[in-house]
Amino acid sequence: MTEGKLTQKEACVGQGVKFERIRRITGYLVGTTDRFNNAKRAEEKDRIKHGV
Amino acid sequence: MAASKRLPVRVSAASWAGPVSIRKRSGDVVPFDPSKIREAIRKSNVSVREESLPSAALDELTRRVTRSIPQGQIPGVEQVQDLVEETLIKAGYAKTAKAYILYRAEHAKIRQSETDLMEIYKELTFSYAADADIKRENANIDADTAMGTMLKYGSEGAKYFVDNYILPRDVAAAHINGDIHIHDKDFYMLTETCCQIDLLKLFKNGFSTGHGYLREPASIQSYSALGCIAIQANQNEMHGGQSVPNFDYAMAPGVAKTFRKEYFKALGQYLNAFCSLEYGQGQALVQNAKAQVGEDVSMGQPQLYGEQLVPWLTQQALPQGGTLTAAQAQKAHDMATQTAMAETDRATYQAMEALVHNLNTMNSRAGAQVPFSSVNYGTDTSPEGRMVIRNLLLATDAGLGNGETPIFPVQIFKVKEGINYNSQDPNYDLFQLAIRTSAKRLFPNFSFLDAPFNLQYYKEGDYNSEVAYMGCRTRVMGNVHDPEREITCGRGNLSFTSINLPRLGIEAHGDLDRFYEMLDEKIDLVIRQLLHRFKIQAAKKSRNYPFLMGQGVWIDSDNLDVDEPVGEILKHGTLSVGFIGLAETLVALTGKHHGQSPESQKLGLEIISHMRRRMDEESQKTGLNFTLLATPAEGLSGRFLRIDQKIYGKLPGITDRDYYTNSFHIPVYFPIRAFDKIRLEAPYHALTNAGHISYVELDGDVCKNPKAFEAVIRCMKEAGVGYGSVNHPVDRDPVCGYTGVIDEVCPRCGRREGEGVSIEKLRELRKKFPGMPNFYGLE
Repeated sequence: MTEGKLTQKEACVGQGVKFERIRRITGYLVGTTDRFNNAKRAEEKDRIKHGV
Repeated sequence: MAASKRLPVRVSAASWAGPVSIRKRSGDVVPFDPSKIREAIRKSNVSVREESLPSAALDELTRRVTRSIPQGQIPGVEQVQDLVEETLIKAGYAKTAKAYILYRAEHAKIRQSETDLMEIYKELTFSYAADADIKRENANIDADTAMGTMLKYGSEGAKYFVDNYILPRDVAAAHINGDIHIHDKDFYMLTETCCQIDLLKLFKNGFSTGHGYLREPASIQSYSALGCIAIQANQNEMHGGQSVPNFDYAMAPGVAKTFRKEYFKALGQYLNAFCSLEYGQGQALVQNAKAQVGEDVSMGQPQLYGEQLVPWLTQQALPQGGTLTAAQAQKAHDMATQTAMAETDRATYQAMEALVHNLNTMNSRAGAQVPFSSVNYGTDTSPEGRMVIRNLLLATDAGLGNGETPIFPVQIFKVKEGINYNSQDPNYDLFQLAIRTSAKRLFPNFSFLDAPFNLQYYKEGDYNSEVAYMGCRTRVMGNVHDPEREITCGRGNLSFTSINLPRLGIEAHGDLDRFYEMLDEKIDLVIRQLLHRFKIQAAKKSRNYPFLMGQGVWIDSDNLDVDEPVGEILKHGTLSVGFIGLAETLVALTGKHHGQSPESQKLGLEIISHMRRRMDEESQKTGLNFTLLATPAEGLSGRFLRIDQKIYGKLPGITDRDYYTNSFHIPVYFPIRAFDKIRLEAPYHALTNAGHISYVELDGDVCKNPKAFEAVIRCMKEAGVGYGSVNHPVDRDPVCGYTGVIDEVCPRCGRREGEGVSIEKLRELRKKFPGMPNFYGLE
């Protein structure tokens, strides 16, 4: 049985890493919605797009 | 039978002088002190005009209460309070009894908040922000850190102190009840909200932040660095945001100074190379030129200096012998100019990049968050100003170290016809660049100097006449206190308090007269409270603000003595009444919000106009700047709603979500076209002179459609909006650095959220996208 580290080809990074979703909160930006309080999170979920 | 307990008797023996001890709510038994009863009755009576209780009457009533306490057991506090009420009523002091009952109820609420305070401290200490909503009250503070938690300890403790020892009882109760919300209550005793900082004035002749003097900056890099220091220094003396209303004008002299430096440096180097001089000889020649011809070479018209320099140069004896011809001297000047342009542009870019990095990373505000910074720009048409704007936008587009979207400073591009709005305008190219940058990075936001309520102040070329906005939307321009100085710089908001409009809508039960009656009562209360707070703010001294006042940042503070009270100059600031949830209010009153029916829109405008009228009247009456605010409402969006849900349950269209809609906005969930939303909201901007904003949510790939983006901005301008921005999803994959729209799968590296990707693949991608971050994850 081969032991040792995975080769460079196989080595994976980024497991568990989420996408960052930057959103505007009351006019300014905040890192990601993780930081939003519950009310603003709920509001952000409700946001629909406005057609042009 | 054993000896029985003596039973308590209702009517005491004539000799009964009252109990010796009393049991507090905490369970502790302490000596009984009748003077406390006397004091409570006296306080209750003070507010009742119709009944008067002179000293003898107070003594008698206290005696009656004391003697009515049953003998034989230690009484409790609640029991004694019941007896006070009974005694007052029996003695015919019904109004005083009522005041006492209210006073007792308010105390109960406030006492509840003390228990809450300890519960709050427990929650802050032991829970994670992911679980505790209170730790996410302010999205910019990481309350999981030591400094963040310490900030919250201080903040919650201060709020408790203000509730119990400072606020008038009815005001404290109104806030706790959710009728009103006093913003930044933790800072009530300490300072004001925000300031529009004139960096030009500050930099002139240098400044100090407490230790050590900072000379007037001499290069664009120093202008940028000192700009950050100034924002930070001011931020540590105020509880709200700091804005630079004239960012392009303020940085332009830095560009000019750098250009001059680079020009003479390049000239010296060129002469050394061309004339085969030793190092130092070219430089010496240049020093002579500066002394004899002057140093006034400008980026906009370098040839003016060239016309002076060239003839002079041809007359200089070179160290090796001989002189330069006119053509050679001209070439020297041209090369120096070209080099200086390129070097200055590069230096400006780096300075803007450093500014953006600094304002996103220095947790210099109370050690727990970056300063809340905003910069306004767009109208400086000088070559230097334009270079600043262009490079700030480019640096914003490039992002932070790994290409992340910068969160600060909030950037506001000032749109103005004749300056940057139309294709023939001198800064139109910068307007286009601003749109492209905003399409990718969500900033800049856009303000509109042509909105009639902004245009009335505008004087071309005078930045002090250009309305500036704080990132959050605050606006300070009109000045009832000093109509000669309706200007931006050195002014800001003093404090603001919001009214729970939806609750009034609910309580009115369709009766509009009743609605306005209750609204006016609330406005009266808030005005009283704003004045109460202002009185405290006015008594502070210049020494409480070593930077804001000590360095002359606030208007007219230059001439204040350290121990002089600041009240008079604070009057240039604004006292604002705010509101949230107009949409829900309209549903409560009419069944529909203003997106759904023209009648509701009409009523909405009437309500907000009424509030604005009350502010104008109060301003005229007091000579202070009372203004109406479309409250930003970050924490407040949930707070009012949560309290109202408990009281009224889930009323459809009103309290059935987890938040109230922001200010006068059409609800975010309501399907409506962008142009219609803008047109419905625009008239409210004119009414909310303390600040306002409108947003539009656009579909993901707006980067690919700058025309659509521009159409939205133009619609805002034409509709009379004062401040607006376009929201669109900005997603980023930290692993491969892709920034754009990501639905389920990253368009660049193909991974799904949480999945891994091979290092080999990342290497391949890096060949195509050289700017990719080096992501190694956890080894």
